[in-house]
Formats: sequence, C-alpha cells, structure tokens
Amino acid sequence: MATSSLRWEAGTRPPLMSGGRIVVISLVVILAYQVLVPLLLIIWTSLKTIRPGEPGFLELSFTLANYARAYGISEFWEASLNTLYFAFLSSVCAFFCGTFLAWTVERTNMPLARLIGMITLGRIIIPGVIITISWILTASPSIGVLNHIINALAGVPRFLNIYSFWGMVWVQSLEMTPLAYLLMSAAMKSIDPRLEEASAIAGAGTWPTFRRVTLPLILPAAAAAALLLFIQTVESFEVPLLLGGRARVAVYTTQVYFNTSRTPTDWGLSSTYSIVLLFLSMVLLYIYFQLVRHGERYQTITGKDYRPRRIDLGGWKYITCALSLVLVFFITGLPFLTMLYASLLPRFRPPTAEVLETMTLINYKTLFSEGSYALKPLWNSTLLGVSAASIVMLLVAAISYFVHKTRLGGRKILDFLAFAPIALPSVVLGSAFLWLYLLVPLPIIGTLSIIGLAYLTRYLPFALRFVSTSMVQIHTELEEAAAVAGGGWWRNFYHIYLPLLRPGLMAGWFWVMVHAYRELTISLMLARSSNRTASVIIFDLWSNGSFQQLSAFGVLMFTILIILVSIAQNVSARYGIQERV
Amino acid sequence: MTKAVRIVGLAIIAFVAGSMSSVCFAAEASAEQLYATLAKLPADQREKRLEEGARKEGKLNFVHTWRGKIARDHVNLFEKRYPFVKVEMGDIGSQDAAERFIAEETAGRHLTDILTLGVPDMAVILKQNLVAKFPTPATKKILKQYQSFIEPENRWTPWYWAEHGISYNTDLIKPDKAPKTWFDLCKPEFKGQVSFDPPETRFMAGLHVMMGEGKVKEWLECMGQNQPIIQQGHTQRMELMLTGDHAVQGDNYFYVGVEHKKKDPKTPFAMVLTAPVLSFAGAMIINKNTQHPYASALFVDWTLSQDSQNLINDILRGPLTIKHPYLPDNIKLVTYNIVGDDITKRLHEAWNQSIGRLK
Repeated sequence: MATSSLRWEAGTRPPLMSGGRIVVISLVVILAYQVLVPLLLIIWTSLKTIRPGEPGFLELSFTLANYARAYGISEFWEASLNTLYFAFLSSVCAFFCGTFLAWTVERTNMPLARLIGMITLGRIIIPGVIITISWILTASPSIGVLNHIINALAGVPRFLNIYSFWGMVWVQSLEMTPLAYLLMSAAMKSIDPRLEEASAIAGAGTWPTFRRVTLPLILPAAAAAALLLFIQTVESFEVPLLLGGRARVAVYTTQVYFNTSRTPTDWGLSSTYSIVLLFLSMVLLYIYFQLVRHGERYQTITGKDYRPRRIDLGGWKYITCALSLVLVFFITGLPFLTMLYASLLPRFRPPTAEVLETMTLINYKTLFSEGSYALKPLWNSTLLGVSAASIVMLLVAAISYFVHKTRLGGRKILDFLAFAPIALPSVVLGSAFLWLYLLVPLPIIGTLSIIGLAYLTRYLPFALRFVSTSMVQIHTELEEAAAVAGGGWWRNFYHIYLPLLRPGLMAGWFWVMVHAYRELTISLMLARSSNRTASVIIFDLWSNGSFQQLSAFGVLMFTILIILVSIAQNVSARYGIQERV
Repeated sequence: MTKAVRIVGLAIIAFVAGSMSSVCFAAEASAEQLYATLAKLPADQREKRLEEGARKEGKLNFVHTWRGKIARDHVNLFEKRYPFVKVEMGDIGSQDAAERFIAEETAGRHLTDILTLGVPDMAVILKQNLVAKFPTPATKKILKQYQSFIEPENRWTPWYWAEHGISYNTDLIKPDKAPKTWFDLCKPEFKGQVSFDPPETRFMAGLHVMMGEGKVKEWLECMGQNQPIIQQGHTQRMELMLTGDHAVQGDNYFYVGVEHKKKDPKTPFAMVLTAPVLSFAGAMIINKNTQHPYASALFVDWTLSQDSQNLINDILRGPLTIKHPYLPDNIKLVTYNIVGDDITKRLHEAWNQSIGRLK
C-alpha cells in the first residue's frame, strides 16, 4: 500500500484497493436491486397496455400508446408550462431564503444564530398537509386570520389570497427553504476561512467577499440545492392539490393525479408520466455535473486548518437577526402556532375571546385514549426513520467516495443509479414496490421491511446530494497522506472521510429521518394492520376530517422528533461529531 | 467491473422474471361452492356450520374502507362477539382498497379475504370476476326502503348506506336564501361559493340516476359557469365551509356536519332536504380465493346484526335494518348501485370539459 502510494503523482487519486472493489460491487448490487428493478418495472410498464401480472405482461411486445395518450393532450403541455414557472419561482425564492439563513447562521456573528437555525429546521418536522392547511387558515380570503387583521387595521377586505399562483409559490418556497438551508449550511461549515480573510485583507467588504469568494466556493452545494429544490417542487403535490385546485392552476403532479386516479389505476399511463420526470432529472443531473466538473476547485478541506471563522457584521448583525427572525416566523413559527392553536380547539375558528374560552385538551386525550392507535405507528416511524436514515447515509457516503474520489470507470453510473429515483413520484415508486413484492415471493408484505426498503430508494438521491457537496470539498491530499502512512482504504474512509463529512452526513441524516417520518404515499400503499406509520395516522385524521386532532398529532410528532434529533446530536457528539443540525 | 455489473443486472432480472411466472398458484377449494351448499341449510344449522368453520380458521384478513377509530370499533365489536376469530384489518379508502385487491389477485397472492367498498366503486372488481357469490339470509333484515341495494346475484352484501347531498353554512346563507334544488347551485348568488371534490365515480353515478345523462351535462355546464370550488377531501371541505371559507357544499356527506352540530349546537350547518339526496350502499365482498371462507361469511353476516347496525347508527352513518339516525323518512332518496363504465366515462369527460379543467 505504502509503496503504491509513493508512486502517486500530485493531483492524481489513489487507486482502488481490493476491499474497495468489493464495496463497489456490493453497492452496484444494492443499487441494482433497490433502484434498477423498480425502474425497469416502470419503464417496462410504460411500454405496455397490459397491467403487471396479467398474461402477456412479460412478453417482448411493446407499444407507445401510453406515450401518445399522455403527451397528446394540450392540458399536459399547459400543466408542464405552469410547472416550470411554479418550480422555477419557488426554487429561486427558497434558494435565496435558505442561503441567506445558512450564511447568517453559519458564517456571521448574528445574535441568536443557533436558535434561528433550529427553528428553520423545525419546519421540516411539521407535515406538509398541516402547513398547507395552516396557510389556508392564515391567508384564505374569507377566513384567513391575517386578512381579518388587515381588514380590521386598514379596512381592506380579502387583501391576501392564498388560493392563487403566487400563494402556491409562497407556500412552496417556505416549504423548500429548510432544504436549501440544510444543504448550504453544510457546505458553509466547511469553507476555508483563509480565502475570505485574504479577500478582507485586500479591502473587499462583506458583500463582495460573499459574492466573489464564498459563493464560488459553495458552487457544488448551490448547484445541488438548486437541482433538488427544482425537482422536488416539480414533484410536490400537497400545495398544488390543496391550493392549486382552488386557484384553477394545474401543474404536472395534479394533472397526473387527475388522469390516473381512477380505479383501476392506469399503470401504463402513470409510468409514462414518471418517464418525463426521469428525463428532466437526468438533464438537470448532467448540468450539475458540468457545473462541478472541476472538483478540485472546491476542495477547501485540506491538511491545513479548515475551521471556518465567523464574519463580523458590525451593526448590521441586529438588522440581519431581525430579518432572519421574520423569515423563520413565516417558515416555522406561524404554521406551528396555527397547529398548536388548532390542536386546542374543539372546532377551528379564527381567534376571538369567545373562541379562546373554548380551548381544551380533548384532542390530545382522544389520541391517547387508545394507545396503540397513535403510539404504535409513532414507534414504527421512529424505527423506520432512524434505520432508513442511518443506512441511506452510510450507502451514500460510500457511493459519493467512489464517485468523487476515485477514477473508477463508470463511477458516474453509481451516481446515476442512486439519483434516478428522484424522478419517480412516490405513488409510482410505492406501486412498483408493491408489485415487486407481490410478484417476488419474499415474505415482507405487511412488515416494516417493505416500507424501509422503499424509503431507502426514495431518499437515496437527496442524501447523495447532501454528502456529495461535502465530499467534493475534501482534498485528496489527506487520503494520500494517510496512504503514505500505510492506511488502507477502509481505514482512510472511516478515519478521514467519515469525520470530515460530518456536516453533510448529519444534515442528510436529519433530512432523511424526518422525511421518512412524514412520508405518506409510499407508507399508505404498503401499509397493513401491523406496519402502519405516523403519516398513515395523519392521513386517517385528515380523511376523517379532524384537523384539530391532526394538529394535536402534529404537535406530538414535532415533540418526538425534536427529542430524537437531540439524542442523535448527543450520540454524535460522544463519537466526536460536534456539528449540530 | 462493467462485466460484473452486467452479470448482476441479468441475475436480478432473471430472478424477478422467474418469480413472476411461478407465483400464480391454484386457488383452494371454491368458496362459492361452499356458500351455495350452506345456503341450502336451515338458518340455525348454517350459522352453526359457519361458527365451527370460523373457529378452526381462527383468522380473517379484512380491508375496511372506514378509517381510524370507527373502523377499529367496528372490528372490535365483531371480535367481542366471536373472540375465536382474530381480524387482521387494514383501513384504506374505497378506491385504494379496490386497487390493492386487484393487484394482489392479479399477482396470485390471496392476501385479502373480505373487503368493504362503496358499491359504485366495485365495477372493476366485478368485471374481473374476483368475487365469490354469497347468498345469505342476513339481507332479509334490510328495511324495505333500502332493498334496492340488495344484489340479485349475491356478489355483494350491503350493510350500510352513505349519502351525498347539498348543505350550507347558516352564518353565510339564511335558510330562506338557501338552494332548494341541484340546479339552484347554478344561481349567480352562489357564484364561487359552491365546493365539490374532484369528480368521483360514485357521485357521477348518482347524478346520472337522479337526472339522466342529458340533464347531468346541462347541470355540469351551468355549474362550470358558476365557478365552483374544487378541493380534494370531503371532510376537510366541510370543515372549511363551517369555518366560513365558503358557503355551500355542492356534494358532501352530511354526517360530518351533523357530527359537528352534535358536539357544538352553534355550528352553522344545515342540510338541504328539499333536493334529492343521493345514496349508495357500502357493501361487503368476499374474495373468490378467500383463505378463510367460514370466517369471511361469519363477518359478512354479522355486519347486518343488531350490534353492527347500532354502531352504524351511533356514528351517524346510514344503517340498513333500523331507522336512520338523523334523516327524516320523507326525504327524496335516490338509491343506486353500479352505473355502466361507458356512462361514467362520458360523465367524467363532461365534468372535465365544464368544471374540472384547470388552466
């Protein structure tokens, strides 16, 4: 090992060791099973008018009839155009808000930075349905609390209208901001401070330094954030369904929903629609790779000091703090308070003295009156969230290493395979797993395993981008130095990369864990009596029309997740991981 | 490396393909034959045989389309009466239940014994011949006004009924200004104030039975011009209306509003009972390939028992063997079962053209 290491030239990367090869092969097998099989099933189904399982489904005769049906109608193209506007505007807003918060929290001496960071992330925990309904209750023209206040103060009725295209953009932007924040803050934690200091010494102010030094250094994270924000907004469903329906704005997901939601589901058409997303994701992934192709430019974590130092904002720190507080109030505070308020009411009504008198804990009591109803699914979700997040992060750390730190032929296939599921809407992915395990006689239907396996596939692409942005910042000189000292592949990976990837790993773990907790569509498709998850209960409560009980459950879930994250932080800290999410 | 990837890929495809062709296994002895034989027995002997058989089976896989607590209460009541049968219950919506059942049976996995669905949502399952015919004396208890829900061929067993009707917020509309008929919803004073869910087969079928195709299309056209609110989720829409978000529910279950009114008499809710109320049955179907035919039959019979019907009454749904908990007898009830695929397809298209098309 040491001998071969000594033969490396500057700028080259270490060769793969045999242990590495085994890991790569294992990764390919795992990805092929987790991603390729459902993906092939979906592509295959899109070329068939016969349902999976029916005679003839496996025959090698194909048709483009589904494609003609899906793309031959003008509504599809109108919805696609709306989707591009919606996704572009929401992504841009979320990106700027998230980046601003990440920068102020991680890189400046703004007061209350940690609190603001925590509140921003707290938003991810609140289920999307609750957030959207909270905004309806806040800014609906007829019943919106804000409209009542504006009318009382300024005499302008129905000033805000959440049921509009801009209402959709607003809610979606706030929904996506924590994702941008997580990705950008992980990258900002790892910036080499000497470059910013050099800029300051050269006389550049805070803004020029941010624009010319900080921003280019976080390009991979920015590109990853833009990529994920855009795709996730294209895929978003709750906001378009609950607000877009009223606003008469069709987007891609609602179009797909309305065209395929009749029984029996038209699997051919559903799969065909997801091919568009697959194509779009691949184009965006290509652009991303082009943007970050010169990986060495972003390597800020070297063998020398890399601990970032905070920028002194002077008097501006208070203004920045106020602005951040306003932002996090809209992102998390307002929906959380609405959720808390609703959870204490027998029937939702705008707050008045009379209504406040009716406040009660009955919604919480009802939830606890039958322990197994709410508590077992919460436990199931905890198990699924923690295990899915841990396994996914370990997988993507290894994938990211081979993609970014080796010259392994075809390594981008690993990236493609791990990223491809982003193109699959949850409903299609859930169906693919259902069909797969109905057809493959493994006894996992009705267990947590089938949901866990689907979660692995679902969250790989997101987790990969979290870790990749951190991975490209790590200079190979560290591994080269270790190799010279005789370290093997696994030792280097474990002792060098994993600790240095902490910001990305922790951010990704948090993101996956919380989203696994919240995930509805897949859980609903694969749930049976013994593997119900927290989100299935949310759907139960939502379907049964109890927004008050739903809110109480949301508050309960918020509390549990806060506890879980705190435990995770403490455990991480014990093993030397000190970054907080 | 590339070769290794290729080999692994091929192995996985071969594994899946092999599995797909081998999982279809033959069904057990026909449940239908058993039910036909049992139907010839006197009622008490039939029941005894069912109980004995169910005791041996000891288990039942049931998909309920009621959700949450009410579904569990319903099953608990059965388990209390027949403690020797353990019910594994999944509770999902009617359309999801049908979809999953079809998927399981198509794949040759007989995981569900019985499921309950809204009758209008059953067409696809019946078409695929997945249901066991189940003649049962239990349906004799069904009240006269609901007997049209009984299926002559015994493919389903009705056990409750659900209503679709017009209701409104009494804070926003005074009773004398409230709509009286379905066509009243087209009046200018209700412009932008009437809400519907996205089109559902069960609603389309009801409209067709009530008005006939021509009138439905006319109604859809005038509704479309009145800019209705289209929002997913019956109960959420009702909650929003009661909060004052909009004035009228063009189509919704009444029981949600009645439930609110029961808890809080000040709830601003009223039903329009001058307009016909659409009603369809919720019914049990038994999988043709059920693995627990006795327990399945026992459960289906039990749904029409006094215990089960009282529970339906308590939760403000429509029982079939006793009087409705809140609807008067003199309302105009439009009962219906399954409407042809071609008709609902045409009505869905009419909806899309007049109402459902989003910009």
